[in-house]
Amino acid sequence: MRSRTVIDLYFVNRMQAYGWPILVMVLALGIVLAVGAIVGTQGAEARAGMYEGMTWSGAIFSLLGPMIGYGFVSMGQYFPLALGLGLTRREFAIGQSLLFLGNALAYALLITIGKTLEVATGGFGLQIRFFDVFYTGTGASWQTFVQTFLLIVATLFLGAAITSAFLRFGQPFIWLGGSLLGILGVAMVAGIVLVDGFGAQLLELFTLGWGSWMGVIAVIGLLSAGTWLLLVRRTQVP
Amino acid sequence: MNALETRELSKHYRDVAAIDDVSISLEENRVHGLLGRNGAGKTTLMKLLTAQIFATSGSMRVLGEDPVENAGVLSQTCFIQESQKYPDGFRPLDVMRISQGLYPAWDQELARDLVADFRLPEKRAIRKLSRGQLSAVGIIIGLASRAPLTFFDEPYLGLDAVARRLFFDRLLADYAEHPRTIVLSTHHIDEVSNLLEHVVLLDEGKVMLDEEADALQSAAIEVSGRLTEVDEFTTTAEVLHTARIGALATATIVADGEQTAAAARAAGLDVAPVSLQNYIVHRTTAAAPAAAR
Repeated sequence: MRSRTVIDLYFVNRMQAYGWPILVMVLALGIVLAVGAIVGTQGAEARAGMYEGMTWSGAIFSLLGPMIGYGFVSMGQYFPLALGLGLTRREFAIGQSLLFLGNALAYALLITIGKTLEVATGGFGLQIRFFDVFYTGTGASWQTFVQTFLLIVATLFLGAAITSAFLRFGQPFIWLGGSLLGILGVAMVAGIVLVDGFGAQLLELFTLGWGSWMGVIAVIGLLSAGTWLLLVRRTQVP
Repeated sequence: MNALETRELSKHYRDVAAIDDVSISLEENRVHGLLGRNGAGKTTLMKLLTAQIFATSGSMRVLGEDPVENAGVLSQTCFIQESQKYPDGFRPLDVMRISQGLYPAWDQELARDLVADFRLPEKRAIRKLSRGQLSAVGIIIGLASRAPLTFFDEPYLGLDAVARRLFFDRLLADYAEHPRTIVLSTHHIDEVSNLLEHVVLLDEGKVMLDEEADALQSAAIEVSGRLTEVDEFTTTAEVLHTARIGALATATIVADGEQTAAAARAAGLDVAPVSLQNYIVHRTTAAAPAAAR
Protein backbone atom coordinates (compact mmCIF):
# COMPACT_ATOMS: atom_id res chain seq x y z
CA MET A 1 0.00 0.00 0.00
CA ARG A 2 1.82 3.07 -1.29
CA SER A 3 -0.10 5.44 1.01
CA ARG A 4 2.09 4.09 3.79
CA THR A 5 4.98 5.95 2.18
CA VAL A 6 3.42 9.21 3.35
CA ILE A 7 3.67 7.96 6.93
CA ASP A 8 7.24 6.81 6.24
CA LEU A 9 8.08 10.31 5.04
CA TYR A 10 7.44 11.56 8.57
CA PHE A 11 8.86 8.55 10.42
CA VAL A 12 12.03 8.19 8.39
CA ASN A 13 13.75 10.72 10.66
CA ARG A 14 12.01 10.07 13.95
CA MET A 15 14.19 12.39 15.97
CA GLN A 16 13.26 15.32 13.75
CA ALA A 17 9.57 14.48 13.61
CA TYR A 18 8.86 13.27 17.13
CA GLY A 19 12.03 13.28 19.23
CA TRP A 20 12.58 17.02 19.30
CA PRO A 21 8.96 18.04 20.04
CA ILE A 22 8.90 15.63 23.01
CA LEU A 23 12.31 16.81 24.19
CA VAL A 24 11.14 20.43 24.01
CA MET A 25 8.02 19.46 25.97
CA VAL A 26 10.16 17.78 28.64
CA LEU A 27 12.31 20.91 28.80
CA ALA A 28 9.21 23.13 29.17
CA LEU A 29 7.87 20.80 31.87
CA GLY A 30 11.23 21.04 33.63
CA ILE A 31 11.04 24.83 33.61
CA VAL A 32 7.48 24.79 34.97
CA LEU A 33 8.56 22.33 37.70
CA ALA A 34 11.46 24.62 38.60
CA VAL A 35 9.07 27.59 38.80
CA GLY A 36 6.80 25.47 41.01
CA ALA A 37 9.70 24.58 43.31
CA ILE A 38 10.76 28.22 43.64
CA VAL A 39 7.23 29.56 44.22
CA GLY A 40 6.60 26.67 46.62
CA THR A 41 9.16 28.14 49.03
CA GLN A 42 6.94 31.25 49.38
CA GLY A 43 4.22 29.44 51.32
CA ALA A 44 0.80 27.86 50.80
CA GLU A 45 -0.94 31.04 49.62
CA ALA A 46 1.61 31.57 46.86
CA ARG A 47 1.28 27.92 45.81
CA ALA A 48 -2.51 28.20 45.64
CA GLY A 49 -2.26 31.40 43.58
CA MET A 50 0.21 29.75 41.24
CA TYR A 51 -2.03 26.68 40.86
CA GLU A 52 -4.98 28.92 39.93
CA GLY A 53 -2.96 31.13 37.60
CA MET A 54 -1.39 28.21 35.77
CA THR A 55 -4.84 27.19 34.52
CA TRP A 56 -4.05 29.57 31.66
CA SER A 57 -0.43 28.50 31.23
CA GLY A 58 0.49 28.05 27.59
CA ALA A 59 3.52 25.83 28.29
CA ILE A 60 1.69 22.83 26.79
CA PHE A 61 1.99 24.56 23.41
CA SER A 62 5.62 23.47 23.44
CA LEU A 63 4.05 20.17 22.36
CA LEU A 64 0.91 21.43 20.62
CA GLY A 65 2.84 24.10 18.68
CA PRO A 66 4.58 21.67 16.30
CA MET A 67 1.20 19.99 15.81
CA ILE A 68 -0.27 23.29 14.59
CA GLY A 69 2.64 23.59 12.17
CA TYR A 70 2.29 20.04 10.83
CA GLY A 71 -0.94 20.83 9.01
CA PHE A 72 0.69 23.63 7.04
CA VAL A 73 3.96 21.75 6.50
CA SER A 74 2.13 18.67 5.22
CA MET A 75 0.97 20.51 2.12
CA GLY A 76 3.83 22.98 1.86
CA GLN A 77 6.70 20.48 2.10
CA TYR A 78 5.52 16.86 2.08
CA PHE A 79 2.92 17.09 -0.69
CA PRO A 80 5.42 18.29 -3.37
CA LEU A 81 7.90 15.61 -2.32
CA ALA A 82 5.24 12.88 -2.31
CA LEU A 83 4.16 13.79 -5.84
CA GLY A 84 7.79 14.13 -6.87
CA LEU A 85 8.32 10.55 -5.73
CA GLY A 86 5.43 9.38 -7.88
CA LEU A 87 2.59 9.10 -5.37
CA THR A 88 -0.90 10.02 -6.51
CA ARG A 89 -2.95 12.70 -4.77
CA ARG A 90 -5.37 10.03 -3.55
CA GLU A 91 -2.51 8.01 -2.01
CA PHE A 92 -1.17 11.16 -0.39
CA ALA A 93 -4.59 12.13 0.99
CA ILE A 94 -5.18 8.67 2.50
CA GLY A 95 -1.70 8.47 4.05
CA GLN A 96 -1.81 12.03 5.33
CA SER A 97 -5.30 11.59 6.86
CA LEU A 98 -4.16 8.43 8.65
CA LEU A 99 -1.10 10.28 9.91
CA PHE A 100 -3.19 13.23 11.15
CA LEU A 101 -5.55 10.90 13.01
CA GLY A 102 -2.68 8.81 14.39
CA ASN A 103 -0.79 11.89 15.55
CA ALA A 104 -3.88 13.32 17.22
CA LEU A 105 -4.55 10.01 18.95
CA ALA A 106 -0.97 9.60 20.16
CA TYR A 107 -0.55 13.15 21.44
CA ALA A 108 -4.03 13.21 23.01
CA LEU A 109 -3.13 10.00 24.85
CA LEU A 110 0.21 11.43 25.97
CA ILE A 111 -1.41 14.60 27.27
CA THR A 112 -4.21 12.66 28.96
CA ILE A 113 -1.74 10.39 30.74
CA GLY A 114 0.28 13.45 31.77
CA LYS A 115 -2.83 15.20 33.04
CA THR A 116 -4.02 12.17 35.00
CA LEU A 117 -0.62 11.84 36.66
CA GLU A 118 -0.47 15.56 37.32
CA VAL A 119 -3.89 15.64 38.99
CA ALA A 120 -3.23 12.44 40.96
CA THR A 121 0.06 13.76 42.34
CA GLY A 122 -1.15 17.27 43.13
CA GLY A 123 0.76 18.89 40.31
CA PHE A 124 3.73 16.52 40.66
CA GLY A 125 3.90 17.42 44.34
CA LEU A 126 4.55 21.06 43.52
CA GLN A 127 1.02 22.24 42.71
CA ILE A 128 1.92 23.16 39.17
CA ARG A 129 -0.22 22.81 36.04
CA PHE A 130 1.27 21.76 32.76
CA PHE A 131 -1.16 19.25 31.23
CA ASP A 132 -4.26 20.17 33.27
CA VAL A 133 -4.90 23.58 31.68
CA PHE A 134 -7.73 25.44 29.97
CA TYR A 135 -6.65 24.48 26.43
CA THR A 136 -6.55 20.75 27.16
CA GLY A 137 -9.57 20.78 29.48
CA THR A 138 -9.63 20.93 33.26
CA GLY A 139 -12.50 18.44 33.60
CA ALA A 140 -12.27 14.66 33.78
CA SER A 141 -9.43 12.83 32.05
CA TRP A 142 -11.69 11.46 29.32
CA GLN A 143 -12.77 15.02 28.55
CA THR A 144 -9.13 16.04 28.18
CA PHE A 145 -8.63 13.16 25.77
CA VAL A 146 -11.65 14.11 23.64
CA GLN A 147 -10.86 17.84 23.72
CA THR A 148 -7.16 17.40 22.86
CA PHE A 149 -7.90 14.87 20.14
CA LEU A 150 -10.50 17.11 18.49
CA LEU A 151 -8.35 20.22 18.82
CA ILE A 152 -5.31 18.56 17.25
CA VAL A 153 -7.28 16.92 14.43
CA ALA A 154 -9.14 20.14 13.62
CA THR A 155 -5.91 22.16 13.66
CA LEU A 156 -4.09 19.70 11.42
CA PHE A 157 -6.84 19.57 8.80
CA LEU A 158 -7.39 23.35 9.01
CA GLY A 159 -3.68 24.00 8.38
CA ALA A 160 -3.67 21.58 5.44
CA ALA A 161 -6.83 23.16 4.00
CA ILE A 162 -5.43 26.70 4.28
CA THR A 163 -2.16 25.72 2.57
CA SER A 164 -4.05 23.83 -0.17
CA ALA A 165 -6.23 26.87 -0.80
CA PHE A 166 -3.09 29.01 -1.02
CA LEU A 167 -1.49 26.59 -3.49
CA ARG A 168 -4.72 26.50 -5.51
CA PHE A 169 -5.68 30.18 -5.51
CA GLY A 170 -2.39 31.91 -4.63
CA GLN A 171 -2.04 35.32 -3.04
CA PRO A 172 -5.68 36.37 -3.71
CA PHE A 173 -6.78 33.70 -1.21
CA ILE A 174 -4.68 35.34 1.53
CA TRP A 175 -6.02 38.80 0.70
CA LEU A 176 -9.61 37.60 0.50
CA GLY A 177 -9.37 35.49 3.67
CA GLY A 178 -7.69 38.32 5.60
CA SER A 179 -10.27 40.82 4.37
CA LEU A 180 -13.19 38.58 5.34
CA LEU A 181 -11.74 38.04 8.83
CA GLY A 182 -11.21 41.80 9.16
CA ILE A 183 -14.78 42.55 8.07
CA LEU A 184 -16.09 39.94 10.54
CA GLY A 185 -14.08 41.55 13.35
CA VAL A 186 -15.33 45.05 12.51
CA ALA A 187 -18.92 43.76 12.24
CA MET A 188 -18.67 42.21 15.72
CA VAL A 189 -17.27 45.38 17.26
CA ALA A 190 -19.96 47.42 15.48
CA GLY A 191 -22.63 45.03 16.76
CA ILE A 192 -21.39 45.32 20.35
CA VAL A 193 -21.25 49.12 20.18
CA LEU A 194 -24.37 49.81 18.13
CA VAL A 195 -26.85 46.98 18.76
CA ASP A 196 -28.45 46.58 22.18
CA GLY A 197 -28.08 43.08 23.59
CA PHE A 198 -25.64 41.92 20.86
CA GLY A 199 -22.72 41.88 23.29
CA ALA A 200 -24.66 39.85 25.84
CA GLN A 201 -25.68 37.31 23.21
CA LEU A 202 -22.10 37.08 21.98
CA LEU A 203 -20.91 36.44 25.54
CA GLU A 204 -23.56 33.75 25.87
CA LEU A 205 -22.19 32.15 22.74
CA PHE A 206 -18.70 32.10 24.15
CA THR A 207 -19.88 30.57 27.42
CA LEU A 208 -21.41 27.51 25.77
CA GLY A 209 -21.11 24.25 27.64
CA TRP A 210 -18.14 21.91 27.11
CA GLY A 211 -20.12 19.54 24.93
CA SER A 212 -21.32 22.32 22.63
CA TRP A 213 -17.77 23.60 22.22
CA MET A 214 -16.58 20.15 21.33
CA GLY A 215 -19.34 20.05 18.72
CA VAL A 216 -18.10 23.37 17.30
CA ILE A 217 -14.51 22.09 17.12
CA ALA A 218 -15.67 18.84 15.52
CA VAL A 219 -17.63 20.76 12.87
CA ILE A 220 -14.58 22.98 12.14
CA GLY A 221 -12.47 19.84 11.83
CA LEU A 222 -14.94 18.12 9.51
CA LEU A 223 -15.35 21.20 7.32
CA SER A 224 -11.57 21.63 7.14
CA ALA A 225 -11.03 17.97 6.28
CA GLY A 226 -13.75 18.11 3.61
CA THR A 227 -12.34 21.29 2.09
CA TRP A 228 -8.81 19.86 2.11
CA LEU A 229 -9.87 16.58 0.50
CA LEU A 230 -11.75 18.52 -2.17
CA LEU A 231 -8.84 20.86 -2.90
CA VAL A 232 -6.02 18.33 -2.79
CA ARG A 233 -7.55 16.40 -5.71
CA ARG A 234 -6.78 19.37 -7.99
CA THR A 235 -3.73 20.85 -6.28
CA GLN A 236 -0.71 21.27 -8.54
CA VAL A 237 2.91 21.31 -7.51
CA PRO A 238 4.22 24.86 -7.91
CA MET B 1 6.21 0.77 -28.58
CA ASN B 2 6.14 4.34 -27.36
CA ALA B 3 6.99 5.13 -23.75
CA LEU B 4 5.02 8.32 -23.99
CA GLU B 5 2.85 10.20 -26.43
CA THR B 6 1.24 13.60 -26.34
CA ARG B 7 -1.38 14.93 -28.72
CA GLU B 8 -2.03 18.68 -28.99
CA LEU B 9 -1.04 19.02 -25.36
CA SER B 10 -1.26 22.53 -23.93
CA LYS B 11 -0.72 24.13 -20.56
CA HIS B 12 -1.73 27.76 -20.16
CA TYR B 13 -1.14 30.03 -17.18
CA ARG B 14 -3.54 32.95 -17.59
CA ASP B 15 -2.30 34.48 -20.86
CA VAL B 16 0.99 32.54 -21.02
CA ALA B 17 1.17 29.33 -23.06
CA ALA B 18 3.88 27.35 -21.25
CA ILE B 19 3.17 24.34 -23.47
CA ASP B 20 1.37 24.98 -26.73
CA ASP B 21 -0.11 22.24 -28.88
CA VAL B 22 2.71 19.76 -28.31
CA SER B 23 2.45 16.41 -30.10
CA ILE B 24 5.40 14.07 -29.62
CA SER B 25 6.05 10.35 -29.38
CA LEU B 26 9.06 8.97 -27.54
CA GLU B 27 10.00 5.36 -28.14
CA GLU B 28 10.69 3.14 -25.16
CA ASN B 29 14.18 2.03 -24.10
CA ARG B 30 15.96 4.98 -25.66
CA VAL B 31 17.67 8.11 -24.34
CA HIS B 32 15.74 11.20 -25.42
CA GLY B 33 16.99 14.75 -25.07
CA LEU B 34 14.47 17.42 -24.19
CA LEU B 35 16.24 20.60 -25.12
CA GLY B 36 15.45 24.28 -25.26
CA ARG B 37 16.23 27.64 -23.74
CA ASN B 38 15.17 28.72 -20.25
CA GLY B 39 11.39 29.06 -20.17
CA ALA B 40 10.96 26.93 -23.31
CA GLY B 41 8.57 24.63 -21.43
CA LYS B 42 10.79 21.60 -20.73
CA THR B 43 10.05 21.38 -16.99
CA THR B 44 6.35 22.10 -17.55
CA LEU B 45 6.14 19.25 -20.07
CA MET B 46 7.82 16.83 -17.66
CA LYS B 47 5.54 17.96 -14.83
CA LEU B 48 2.53 17.30 -17.05
CA LEU B 49 3.79 13.85 -17.98
CA THR B 50 4.32 12.96 -14.32
CA ALA B 51 0.91 14.36 -13.33
CA GLN B 52 2.30 17.03 -11.02
CA ILE B 53 0.28 19.63 -12.90
CA PHE B 54 -2.83 19.36 -15.07
CA ALA B 55 -3.06 20.02 -18.80
CA THR B 56 -5.28 22.80 -20.09
CA SER B 57 -6.12 20.76 -23.19
CA GLY B 58 -4.90 17.83 -25.26
CA SER B 59 -4.10 14.28 -24.27
CA MET B 60 -1.12 12.22 -23.14
CA ARG B 61 -0.30 8.55 -22.66
CA VAL B 62 2.58 7.45 -20.47
CA LEU B 63 3.51 3.76 -20.63
CA GLY B 64 0.27 3.29 -22.51
CA GLU B 65 -2.05 4.97 -20.01
CA ASP B 66 -3.17 8.37 -18.78
CA PRO B 67 -0.72 9.18 -15.95
CA VAL B 68 -3.06 11.43 -13.95
CA GLU B 69 -3.82 9.77 -10.59
CA ASN B 70 -2.56 6.50 -12.07
CA ALA B 71 -0.51 4.68 -9.42
CA GLY B 72 0.35 1.90 -11.89
CA VAL B 73 2.06 4.35 -14.22
CA LEU B 74 3.57 6.67 -11.62
CA SER B 75 5.17 3.77 -9.72
CA GLN B 76 7.17 3.04 -12.89
CA THR B 77 8.14 6.67 -13.39
CA CYS B 78 10.93 8.58 -11.68
CA PHE B 79 11.11 12.35 -12.06
CA ILE B 80 14.32 14.00 -10.91
CA GLN B 81 13.71 17.70 -10.96
CA GLU B 82 16.19 20.44 -10.38
CA SER B 83 13.71 22.36 -8.21
CA GLN B 84 12.70 19.45 -5.94
CA LYS B 85 12.14 20.70 -2.39
CA TYR B 86 12.61 18.51 0.68
CA PRO B 87 11.06 18.88 4.16
CA ASP B 88 13.16 20.63 6.81
CA GLY B 89 15.64 18.28 8.44
CA PHE B 90 15.53 15.73 5.62
CA ARG B 91 18.84 14.04 4.85
CA PRO B 92 19.94 12.25 1.66
CA LEU B 93 19.80 9.04 3.69
CA ASP B 94 16.10 9.65 4.39
CA VAL B 95 15.26 10.27 0.74
CA MET B 96 17.07 7.09 -0.29
CA ARG B 97 15.28 5.02 2.37
CA ILE B 98 11.92 6.31 1.13
CA SER B 99 12.86 5.73 -2.51
CA GLN B 100 13.98 2.19 -1.71
CA GLY B 101 10.48 1.40 -0.49
CA LEU B 102 8.78 3.11 -3.43
CA TYR B 103 10.59 1.92 -6.53
CA PRO B 104 10.20 -1.82 -7.15
CA ALA B 105 13.50 -2.13 -9.07
CA TRP B 106 15.56 -0.02 -6.61
CA ASP B 107 19.24 -1.13 -6.53
CA GLN B 108 20.62 -0.41 -3.08
CA GLU B 109 24.11 -1.55 -4.01
CA LEU B 110 24.21 0.91 -6.89
CA ALA B 111 22.94 3.65 -4.58
CA ARG B 112 25.73 2.92 -2.07
CA ASP B 113 28.34 2.98 -4.87
CA LEU B 114 27.06 6.29 -6.18
CA VAL B 115 27.04 7.86 -2.70
CA ALA B 116 30.72 6.95 -2.45
CA ASP B 117 31.53 8.06 -6.01
CA PHE B 118 29.87 11.46 -5.55
CA ARG B 119 31.29 11.75 -2.01
CA LEU B 120 27.83 12.65 -0.78
CA PRO B 121 27.52 13.35 2.97
CA GLU B 122 24.34 11.32 3.32
CA LYS B 123 23.71 12.18 6.98
CA ARG B 124 23.93 15.95 6.51
CA ALA B 125 20.66 17.92 6.34
CA ILE B 126 19.74 18.54 2.71
CA ARG B 127 19.32 22.28 3.28
CA LYS B 128 23.02 22.39 4.26
CA LEU B 129 24.17 20.67 1.05
CA SER B 130 25.80 22.58 -1.79
CA ARG B 131 23.98 22.91 -5.12
CA GLY B 132 26.17 20.19 -6.60
CA GLN B 133 25.57 17.81 -3.69
CA LEU B 134 21.83 18.40 -4.02
CA SER B 135 22.08 17.47 -7.69
CA ALA B 136 23.97 14.31 -6.68
CA VAL B 137 21.02 13.29 -4.47
CA GLY B 138 18.73 13.46 -7.51
CA ILE B 139 21.15 11.62 -9.76
CA ILE B 140 21.56 8.78 -7.25
CA ILE B 141 17.81 8.36 -6.89
CA GLY B 142 17.25 8.61 -10.63
CA LEU B 143 19.83 5.94 -11.43
CA ALA B 144 19.23 3.59 -8.50
CA SER B 145 15.44 3.65 -8.98
CA ARG B 146 15.87 1.83 -12.32
CA ALA B 147 12.39 3.11 -13.18
CA PRO B 148 11.22 2.06 -16.65
CA LEU B 149 10.69 5.76 -17.41
CA THR B 150 13.10 8.23 -15.83
CA PHE B 151 13.03 11.98 -16.30
CA PHE B 152 16.14 13.98 -15.48
CA ASP B 153 15.44 17.71 -15.44
CA GLU B 154 18.75 19.61 -15.39
CA PRO B 155 20.22 16.84 -13.21
CA TYR B 156 23.69 18.23 -12.72
CA LEU B 157 23.34 21.90 -11.83
CA GLY B 158 26.33 22.90 -9.71
CA LEU B 159 28.25 19.68 -10.35
CA ASP B 160 31.90 20.04 -11.29
CA ALA B 161 33.26 18.58 -14.53
CA VAL B 162 34.49 15.41 -12.82
CA ALA B 163 31.10 14.71 -11.26
CA ARG B 164 29.31 15.45 -14.54
CA ARG B 165 31.58 12.98 -16.33
CA LEU B 166 30.85 10.47 -13.59
CA PHE B 167 27.11 10.94 -14.13
CA PHE B 168 27.36 10.36 -17.89
CA ASP B 169 29.56 7.29 -17.45
CA ARG B 170 27.36 5.71 -14.80
CA LEU B 171 24.18 6.54 -16.73
CA LEU B 172 25.56 5.00 -19.91
CA ALA B 173 26.86 1.90 -18.13
CA ASP B 174 23.64 1.33 -16.22
CA TYR B 175 21.51 2.02 -19.28
CA ALA B 176 23.49 -0.55 -21.26
CA GLU B 177 22.90 -3.17 -18.58
CA HIS B 178 19.32 -2.19 -17.81
CA PRO B 179 17.74 -0.57 -20.86
CA ARG B 180 14.95 1.82 -20.03
CA THR B 181 13.48 5.07 -21.28
CA ILE B 182 15.37 8.15 -20.19
CA VAL B 183 14.30 11.71 -20.88
CA LEU B 184 17.13 14.12 -20.24
CA SER B 185 16.66 17.87 -20.12
CA THR B 186 19.87 19.86 -20.08
CA HIS B 187 21.73 22.96 -21.18
CA HIS B 188 25.04 21.10 -21.47
CA ILE B 189 24.12 19.80 -24.90
CA ASP B 190 27.60 18.99 -26.16
CA GLU B 191 28.35 16.95 -23.04
CA VAL B 192 25.35 14.70 -23.64
CA SER B 193 25.26 14.75 -27.44
CA ASN B 194 26.88 11.31 -27.69
CA LEU B 195 24.38 9.95 -25.20
CA LEU B 196 21.21 11.15 -26.93
CA GLU B 197 19.45 8.98 -29.47
CA HIS B 198 16.54 11.29 -30.14
CA VAL B 199 16.03 15.01 -29.58
CA VAL B 200 12.96 17.16 -29.01
CA LEU B 201 13.67 20.87 -29.07
CA LEU B 202 11.11 23.15 -27.46
CA ASP B 203 10.93 26.88 -28.02
CA GLU B 204 8.33 29.09 -26.36
CA GLY B 205 6.21 26.05 -25.54
CA LYS B 206 6.16 24.66 -29.09
CA VAL B 207 8.04 21.77 -30.68
CA MET B 208 10.71 23.25 -32.92
CA LEU B 209 12.53 20.01 -33.70
CA ASP B 210 11.70 16.35 -33.24
CA GLU B 211 14.51 14.36 -34.84
CA GLU B 212 16.93 11.49 -34.45
CA ALA B 213 20.16 12.73 -32.88
CA ASP B 214 22.25 11.26 -35.71
CA ALA B 215 20.34 13.29 -38.28
CA LEU B 216 20.88 16.46 -36.27
CA GLN B 217 24.63 15.89 -36.03
CA SER B 218 24.84 16.44 -39.80
CA ALA B 219 21.88 18.75 -40.19
CA ALA B 220 24.04 21.83 -40.62
CA ILE B 221 27.52 22.79 -41.72
CA GLU B 222 29.69 25.82 -41.23
CA VAL B 223 31.13 27.37 -44.39
CA SER B 224 33.82 30.03 -44.26
CA GLY B 225 35.84 32.07 -46.70
CA ARG B 226 35.79 35.44 -48.43
CA LEU B 227 32.68 37.49 -47.61
CA THR B 228 31.59 37.76 -51.25
CA GLU B 229 32.02 34.03 -51.87
CA VAL B 230 30.17 33.09 -48.69
CA ASP B 231 27.35 35.52 -49.53
CA GLU B 232 27.10 34.16 -53.04
CA PHE B 233 27.06 30.54 -51.89
CA THR B 234 24.45 31.10 -49.17
CA THR B 235 22.01 33.06 -51.34
CA THR B 236 19.86 29.99 -51.89
CA ALA B 237 20.67 28.24 -48.57
CA GLU B 238 18.81 28.36 -45.27
CA VAL B 239 21.21 30.44 -43.18
CA LEU B 240 21.06 29.92 -39.43
CA HIS B 241 23.88 32.21 -38.43
CA THR B 242 26.43 34.53 -40.04
CA ALA B 243 29.58 36.09 -38.61
CA ARG B 244 31.64 38.66 -40.50
CA ILE B 245 35.16 39.83 -39.74
CA GLY B 246 36.48 42.32 -42.29
CA ALA B 247 36.50 40.67 -45.72
CA LEU B 248 35.95 37.18 -44.24
CA ALA B 249 32.71 35.50 -43.25
CA THR B 250 31.47 32.32 -41.65
CA ALA B 251 27.92 31.06 -42.15
CA THR B 252 26.06 28.19 -40.57
CA ILE B 253 23.65 26.73 -43.08
CA VAL B 254 21.20 23.85 -43.14
CA ALA B 255 22.84 21.00 -45.03
CA ASP B 256 21.17 18.68 -47.47
CA GLY B 257 23.35 15.65 -46.86
CA GLU B 258 26.94 15.50 -48.16
CA GLN B 259 25.92 17.35 -51.35
CA THR B 260 25.90 20.76 -49.65
CA ALA B 261 29.35 20.24 -48.16
CA ALA B 262 30.70 19.09 -51.54
CA ALA B 263 29.20 22.11 -53.28
CA ALA B 264 30.75 24.45 -50.69
CA ARG B 265 34.17 22.91 -51.15
CA ALA B 266 33.75 23.20 -54.93
CA ALA B 267 33.00 26.90 -54.41
CA GLY B 268 36.33 27.29 -52.63
CA LEU B 269 34.94 27.51 -49.12
CA ASP B 270 36.17 25.78 -46.01
CA VAL B 271 33.64 23.39 -44.50
CA ALA B 272 33.37 22.40 -40.83
CA PRO B 273 30.81 20.32 -38.94
CA VAL B 274 28.41 22.04 -36.53
CA SER B 275 28.08 20.59 -33.06
CA LEU B 276 24.63 19.67 -31.78
CA GLN B 277 24.85 22.48 -29.23
CA ASN B 278 25.71 25.10 -31.86
CA TYR B 279 22.98 23.79 -34.14
CA ILE B 280 20.42 24.10 -31.34
CA VAL B 281 21.72 27.56 -30.38
CA HIS B 282 21.53 28.76 -33.99
CA ARG B 283 18.08 27.24 -34.54
CA THR B 284 16.62 28.89 -31.45
CA THR B 285 18.30 32.25 -31.99
CA ALA B 286 17.34 32.23 -35.68
CA ALA B 287 13.74 31.60 -34.64
CA ALA B 288 13.65 34.46 -32.12
CA PRO B 289 13.67 37.38 -34.63
CA ALA B 290 11.14 35.53 -36.79
CA ALA B 291 8.86 35.09 -33.80
CA ALA B 292 9.28 38.75 -32.86
CA ARG B 293 8.15 39.74 -36.37
